[in-house]
Amino acid sequence: MASGGDPKWQKDAADQNFDYMFKLLIIGNSSVGKTSFLFRYADDSFTSAFVSTVGIDFKVKTVFRHDKRVKLQIWDTAGQERYRTITTAYYRGAMGFILMYDVTNEDSFNSVQDWVTQIKTYSWDNAQVILVGNKCDMEDQRVISFERGRQLADQLGVEFFETSAKENVNVKAVFERLVDIICDKMSESLDADPTLVGGAQKGQRLTDQPQGTPNANCNC
Amino acid sequence: MDFQNRNNTANKFVCPSDRQLALRAKLRAGWSSSKTSEPLRPEEQEAIISVIRRNEEIEIAERQRVGRLVERVEKIKQHAVERGPNCCRLCGDTFGLLRPHRIICEDCRQSVCTKCSVDINIRYHTSERTREIWLCRICSETREMWKKSGAWFFKGLPRYDTPRSASANATPAPTPTPGGMASMAGDTRSEHSCHGTPTRTARVKKLTIRVNDSSSSSGPSEPEDEVDGGGGSGRVGGAKGSAVGRLQREDSFRLRAYGSIRSFIDGGERKLSNSFFFGRQQSHRLSECTDYDSVSLSNGSAVAQIRRESSSLRRGSVSSSWSISESSGSGNSGTHSQSQSQVQSQSQSQYAQSQQQHCRDPLLGWLEIAISYRESFHSLDCTMVRARDLPAMDASGLTDPYCKLNIITPEALTKYTRWQRTRTVHKTRNPEFNETLQFVGVEPEELGNSLLYVALFDDDKYGHDFLGAAKVCLSTVHSTSQYRISVPLGVEDQYSNAAEIAQEWPNGKILISLCYNTKRRALVVNVKQCINLMAMDNNGSSDPFVKLQLKPDAHKNKKHKTSVKWRTLNPIYNEEFYFEASPHDLNKEMLIVTVWDKDLGKSNDFLGSVQLGAQSKGERLQQWHDCIRLPDHFHEKWHCLAPDNPAH
Repeated sequence: MASGGDPKWQKDAADQNFDYMFKLLIIGNSSVGKTSFLFRYADDSFTSAFVSTVGIDFKVKTVFRHDKRVKLQIWDTAGQERYRTITTAYYRGAMGFILMYDVTNEDSFNSVQDWVTQIKTYSWDNAQVILVGNKCDMEDQRVISFERGRQLADQLGVEFFETSAKENVNVKAVFERLVDIICDKMSESLDADPTLVGGAQKGQRLTDQPQGTPNANCNC
Repeated sequence: MDFQNRNNTANKFVCPSDRQLALRAKLRAGWSSSKTSEPLRPEEQEAIISVIRRNEEIEIAERQRVGRLVERVEKIKQHAVERGPNCCRLCGDTFGLLRPHRIICEDCRQSVCTKCSVDINIRYHTSERTREIWLCRICSETREMWKKSGAWFFKGLPRYDTPRSASANATPAPTPTPGGMASMAGDTRSEHSCHGTPTRTARVKKLTIRVNDSSSSSGPSEPEDEVDGGGGSGRVGGAKGSAVGRLQREDSFRLRAYGSIRSFIDGGERKLSNSFFFGRQQSHRLSECTDYDSVSLSNGSAVAQIRRESSSLRRGSVSSSWSISESSGSGNSGTHSQSQSQVQSQSQSQYAQSQQQHCRDPLLGWLEIAISYRESFHSLDCTMVRARDLPAMDASGLTDPYCKLNIITPEALTKYTRWQRTRTVHKTRNPEFNETLQFVGVEPEELGNSLLYVALFDDDKYGHDFLGAAKVCLSTVHSTSQYRISVPLGVEDQYSNAAEIAQEWPNGKILISLCYNTKRRALVVNVKQCINLMAMDNNGSSDPFVKLQLKPDAHKNKKHKTSVKWRTLNPIYNEEFYFEASPHDLNKEMLIVTVWDKDLGKSNDFLGSVQLGAQSKGERLQQWHDCIRLPDHFHEKWHCLAPDNPAH
């Protein structure tokens, strides 16, 4: 929320000089570190104080990837259930999801499947997902091993990273990987299915209407 | 982990333990069944609203960006020459041995030359191998646009604002204007015909279920019990329904869906701008919808609710294709309870009306008519109320429309020889006529099998161009009440031609052929012939000749005139004249054609005039544009001669 008046944010948000715009969403249980993760990536800052996110928030960051400027609008969602009505509304715009759990919290790991179901229900079917186990710096309190995380990711068919927003481990890598996956998906979708584009030219605009009404049919 | 493997996984988001989840739901464990919830506090609402506002700014910028991308492609398309299979689609160069090499575009399968195409390397679907393909400039730009706009992901272009519509058009509809994007609109026709196919219906079905979390709040909220077998989606949907219900009961802040959050903020005034919400439906394939069929909520109700929401949100300003669900919605509502289906049908009919009013955009626009019959006078009163979205006729995208009316008898003849006409409403594509025309002598029994025929024309002193025509069945008109109807305008037919012929053009017509010669860099004007000229001399004939002048003339060409054809009203000239000009200059210039009667010993009599150029309208403008757009070809057209002399 505090980012609203941040001049850097405004600069990034207003910047129209980019090629692609990807919307990403970070989801996961409350207090797994979604906001910290985003702040680390977008502002390179970290605070250990816990402030629960109210509903939704987002940050904008433009990255340079494969000779293309990609503008990322990264949505940070509240993990608490009371905001779920709001947060799920944003699933359908997202091209990529960062599904996060806390390696020191068994519950957050067990909820991963619930979150996958949420994605399945509310997002576009070709949305890309990365599973992230956060707080990997807290080795002494770890309850979910790297291996368990990796196995779950394999089961779900998604990629897996262990990260630490505090120590800045793998944070950038996660975003870069997700951008890469989406980029791959993009070229794949058009190259594999050129009819998509061709079909679109023939009136994919949602506003195009079938012609004629009951009245029009009355030629007597 | 290995990316290759991921690709081979048939369905990577299959949750491995849907059954477990369902069981867990029964045990009321896990967050989806947790019962702790409280309403949003005012400061929380504030915070959320501020985020949504920030997002709105980004979305507006994004819509404009996509609009610019779309316009860029449209511009390239407009410049395409399309001269036939032996010429490059884009630049019009002929293929041959020494000429440019012919290339077939991978996407559109049309021939283009090497200059107008690009080769790209694409990867085969599952392997690392690549192959080279050629794309014409239009298709490669379109691909690029699909990537940049995110359309590749949503399988359709998201909503966009064209720079043009933002500045020029008064109507806030986000649709491309029919005039401005004629090529696109032309292409859509074929698509229209498939409306109502199973695929479409299926799409709607899926959509219904997908969004029912946002609309089911008015129904009873049902926890997990009923959905054991329904899979993950149904379970979550149910839980969400209850959550929404709580939110609504306890708080006035109605967080129904993304869209309604916005409408709450904007007081409902701004149109729903969630492009993704609308973008969703088109991607759903038939195969997908089957999983969702088992969900207990009736499709019809959800559709109706969505409609209610969306129609109230949109305030009629966004046009979208929700109407495709009309048939499927009403067909499936039978399973629902009586009271609810009443509400549905009401809202459906309301919606159908608003659809008619706002959403469908046929190519030629709409006409709203009110008809009443007064039995005592045997008179049919037809009120032309207004027309909407008429085709643009001049360079600034405006029209000067008027209506001509007649009644068509069962024998398919026009009942009256004289067509009634309204006055002209100037400079608008959305005229408010509000004019009542009366047909006297219409017998009550005639009503049952006659048609009211309305043709709209563009008023111009050099010829009235056809805009659109509508037929209304009079069998529904009763003497008791006024019959009000909004009809789409169709294309020309025999009656509109009759109406056009009925127009009086006492000055006759002229056939002119235009060609821009690129070698000589000159406009070639061929004056072919005139017919039905006025007789000016005592012998009942005239001695006509034609004067040509280019104005304002950048190259200081001299005026030209044809030879005089003695004693005829239908002279044939076939004379060519050259006006030196660059294509660029032609965009500003006007060819003034005047026809005179040669008199010896006294001043010549004026017979008629016509003006062709970028400032002219309708067919005259079209001929001018064709001539510039497709040079080295003759473009021939008949024009009416107007009685006023441009020199005066």
